[in-house]
Amino acid sequence: MTSFAETEATLAIAADDADRADRRLGLYLTLPAQILVLFIAVFPLLMQLYISLTSWSPLSGRGWWDAWTLWNNFANYLNLAVDARWWSALLRTLLVMAICVPAEFLLGLALAILFMDNFRGKRVFYSILLMPMMVVPAVAGYMFFMLFQSGGPVNNIASAISGHNVAIAWLSNPSLAFIAVAVADIWQWTPLMFLILLAGLLGVPDDQLKAATLLGANWWQRFVTIMLPRMRAIIVIALAIRLIENFKIFDTLYIMTAGGPGTATETISVFIYKLTTNDLSWGYVAAIALVVLISLSVALGIAIARQTKRREAAS
Amino acid sequence: MASIEFRSVTKRFGNTLAVDEASFRVEDGEFFCFFGPPLSGKSTILRLVLGLERPDSGEILFDGRPVNTVGPAERNVAMVFQNLALFPHLTAENNVKFPLIERKIDPATIGKRVGEVAEKLHITHILHKFPAHLSGGERQRVAIARALVRDPVAYLMDDPISALDARLREETRVELKRIQADLGRTLIYVTHDQEEAMSVADRMAILEGGKIRQIARPADAYDRPASDYVARLLGAPMINILDATAVGDAIELAAGAISLPSAAVPKGTTRVGVRPENLGIVPGSDATVFEVEPLGGFTVVTLQAGAERMRALLRGQPRVEPDSRVGLAVDPAAVHFFAADGQSLARPGT
Amino acid sequence: MSSIHLKGLTKHFGSFQAIKQMDLDVHDGEFLALLGPSGCGKSTTMNIIAGMEGATTGRVLFGERDVSDVPMTRRGVGFVFQNYAIFTHMSVRANLAYGLKVRGVPKPEIDKRVAAIADFLQLAPFLDRPSAKLSVNILQRLAIGRSAIVQPAIFLLDEPLSNVDAAFRAVMRTELKHLQRQFKQTMVYVTHDQLEAMTMADRIAVMDHGVLQQVGTPLDVYNNPANVFVARFIGSPGMNLLPASLRETDGNIVADLGAAGVSRPLPRGAAKAAYAQGIQDVWFGFRPEELSLAADSQGIAASVTFIERIGSRTVVHFDAGQAAGKAVFQNDVPLHAGGAAHMVPADAAVRLFDRSTGRAIGEA
Repeated sequence: MTSFAETEATLAIAADDADRADRRLGLYLTLPAQILVLFIAVFPLLMQLYISLTSWSPLSGRGWWDAWTLWNNFANYLNLAVDARWWSALLRTLLVMAICVPAEFLLGLALAILFMDNFRGKRVFYSILLMPMMVVPAVAGYMFFMLFQSGGPVNNIASAISGHNVAIAWLSNPSLAFIAVAVADIWQWTPLMFLILLAGLLGVPDDQLKAATLLGANWWQRFVTIMLPRMRAIIVIALAIRLIENFKIFDTLYIMTAGGPGTATETISVFIYKLTTNDLSWGYVAAIALVVLISLSVALGIAIARQTKRREAAS
Repeated sequence: MASIEFRSVTKRFGNTLAVDEASFRVEDGEFFCFFGPPLSGKSTILRLVLGLERPDSGEILFDGRPVNTVGPAERNVAMVFQNLALFPHLTAENNVKFPLIERKIDPATIGKRVGEVAEKLHITHILHKFPAHLSGGERQRVAIARALVRDPVAYLMDDPISALDARLREETRVELKRIQADLGRTLIYVTHDQEEAMSVADRMAILEGGKIRQIARPADAYDRPASDYVARLLGAPMINILDATAVGDAIELAAGAISLPSAAVPKGTTRVGVRPENLGIVPGSDATVFEVEPLGGFTVVTLQAGAERMRALLRGQPRVEPDSRVGLAVDPAAVHFFAADGQSLARPGT
Repeated sequence: MSSIHLKGLTKHFGSFQAIKQMDLDVHDGEFLALLGPSGCGKSTTMNIIAGMEGATTGRVLFGERDVSDVPMTRRGVGFVFQNYAIFTHMSVRANLAYGLKVRGVPKPEIDKRVAAIADFLQLAPFLDRPSAKLSVNILQRLAIGRSAIVQPAIFLLDEPLSNVDAAFRAVMRTELKHLQRQFKQTMVYVTHDQLEAMTMADRIAVMDHGVLQQVGTPLDVYNNPANVFVARFIGSPGMNLLPASLRETDGNIVADLGAAGVSRPLPRGAAKAAYAQGIQDVWFGFRPEELSLAADSQGIAASVTFIERIGSRTVVHFDAGQAAGKAVFQNDVPLHAGGAAHMVPADAAVRLFDRSTGRAIGEA
């Protein structure tokens, strides 16, 4: 054992010596791929930046490369700053996020905890639970569109339970439409949360839980002092995935409400989609897209940096 | 077959001196053991012998021929890995054959070589089996056969049995020693287990931080350690190393619990080593019994005298009560003397 | 009272019987080692005592109190895991305080007791360090301290020294034993290493294949093994066992070792009784340390196969008749591999075992 460690240590040191030569070779070998990546990622970004500084649109009669003739400096960005529709779309997106992600997290966590124990039919429940995740979002959108019709199953069940006829116009009432959309998102994405958190829970060392139990900790104490801290990294990952995904919420929502009634459920994605397809103001869209991209990247960067710092401090 | 010699070989990794001016000569057919704690340079020496590392300075010679620039493939040294690295999907025979097939040798020769090696290692009857169906010892033999089948000049083992449990280790090391004696090949063996090193080696090199501290037959290293470092590494329970204080005509150890006549102690002695088996217990009140640990055939008594804690290894099952006071008896002829720098000092008059 | 009583304990995992009908009493303040090879059921026994697993049948009593149905949260046993199970996301202090904190002990009291135990186990310098990167010996003390702070009546240790290197293990053994002797804490110590059990325990319970083989003090178990398994398992090396048949010569019972010769008259009444009962096929057992060299044509005729000199000890491997054995001498012996040797075991050290049952033929 020890001599293995020794070999590894010496190898690590040897690696330092060989590093410089290796690194150069590595660069040569990956160069074609790097160039490809450059072309795929960087080129569109630059193109977008370029267009975002013009009022170019596909109907302007010029190729995109000639967009400079329609140069409008930062008019698109300034416009965005005072565009009420943009701000409310942003707020709405954040609101959806604030409702859906915590709900998915808590539901997912609760389910994951249930699945820590063995019970009859666990496998079957497990498969059923994972099903929503495999449904194509557009199909899910259609399903919920049907469910929330005024003559649809949701109202039917409500009628059956309450005993009198319920005919709520879910999707045409601004605040109810919002709820319907949130329900659909929670239905579809709680399973993912469940899956990630279950993996996290199963990764908590069993003997530590036993040690805590033997020291007299009850379930809740074990949950707070052992399970949660041990799962911190995976919780951050799960939340990050869902926050990013949820920020881009589009397909289910668009099929259910198309952002309506009016702009009641218009999120950023829907907003951008409408601008692109209906208004064809591509210069403006490019500017919005860039702003979203940059602010998301910055927020994510900060979150990751903070997590890494914490982990380093802990070890 | 070959002798293997290092002349002032130094190897650094960055700022770390992994091997420092190592010189030794492993004789043809010898069972030579490198022994030391982790990171003392044992494995680096193996890698230098194998040709996986090049020395920064110094010379490596096989049979007197420098091999510094010879690559690992041409050195023809075989390695038996700790995990044995047998291919689980091949029979013992195909495992043994493997190094030859790789070298595109004709099938008739291969068959003959495998037969010879299998015979030598007494594995002919298990050649058709898969590794999963072999016992630990049989697997070991197959791994050695695979190392030997291409007729290497020497074979190397890096802590090959440390993964086994204590009882099995004792059996396997004896087995290894017998195999090596039968084969008469040069074997370079690395271990961190002092008992194993003393049991198997013809000669051993004791390492510390990349430096060779002593090369000797195991019994000589045990009886005449070059320094307190070597003395501490060999023997279980560990040797008692006690600070020496001159009081009048005597040298006192452990707050006066042991007293040696100055005439029996070489000049410049700052510490004295007493092996547990050379520390006797007699009626008296030199020390307090801290703990008594029966081993059955022997009894380990831990003693406290002043700030020093000592162990005595007594034969049989004597009755010694914990917390009682006992006298200590030491034969001046059986102790080791160390200078301030840790080097052993010769007994006066020898 | 902190004695432990296992009554008619059995444990099945499906069709596998991990423990077959076990009765064991651990006295108050005793250091008991549960010893056996891996898979012998010792860890399962320990888990049942701790309440981590339920017994299939049988009861567990702490003192007078039947705790069989008490969940492990409330059994109040201290447990040191093999890998220590330190809460690595907490500081050393938080680890030590854990048991008190979950019990709702007030903060000043916690601080006081943490300081006291840290002082005692020499953990004070590390209190505010994260526990993830501590050396093994500190981790071990931390694991002991974390359990000890809630003052459990019973302490269970699951091979706590198996991750420690050999030289340090010897030191830890002495320390642990000393600690236990000072505090008279009831301790059950699980190990597969007979050396640990011999050196530390007040009594050893030897297990094999889910069956308790023998319970006794270390010297008891060493000197008078109950059966062939215990004889071989205890001792390093284990007891030599040569096949022999008993026969009577001149009114004395002797053991005929076949090619290895005939033993001296067996002084035991037991041998006589066994012979009278018709037991003839026996194992002739003696410890490797109990041999002395004899003049030619006396004692056991053996051929030396191998000699190991390990420090001051010389281990002579020999073949005697059909069987192999070992002899341990405390100095160099005038023997060499390939040569012949004649060795005599001390009369008092000879043990006989019934070859059909493996059981010791007891003293009478």
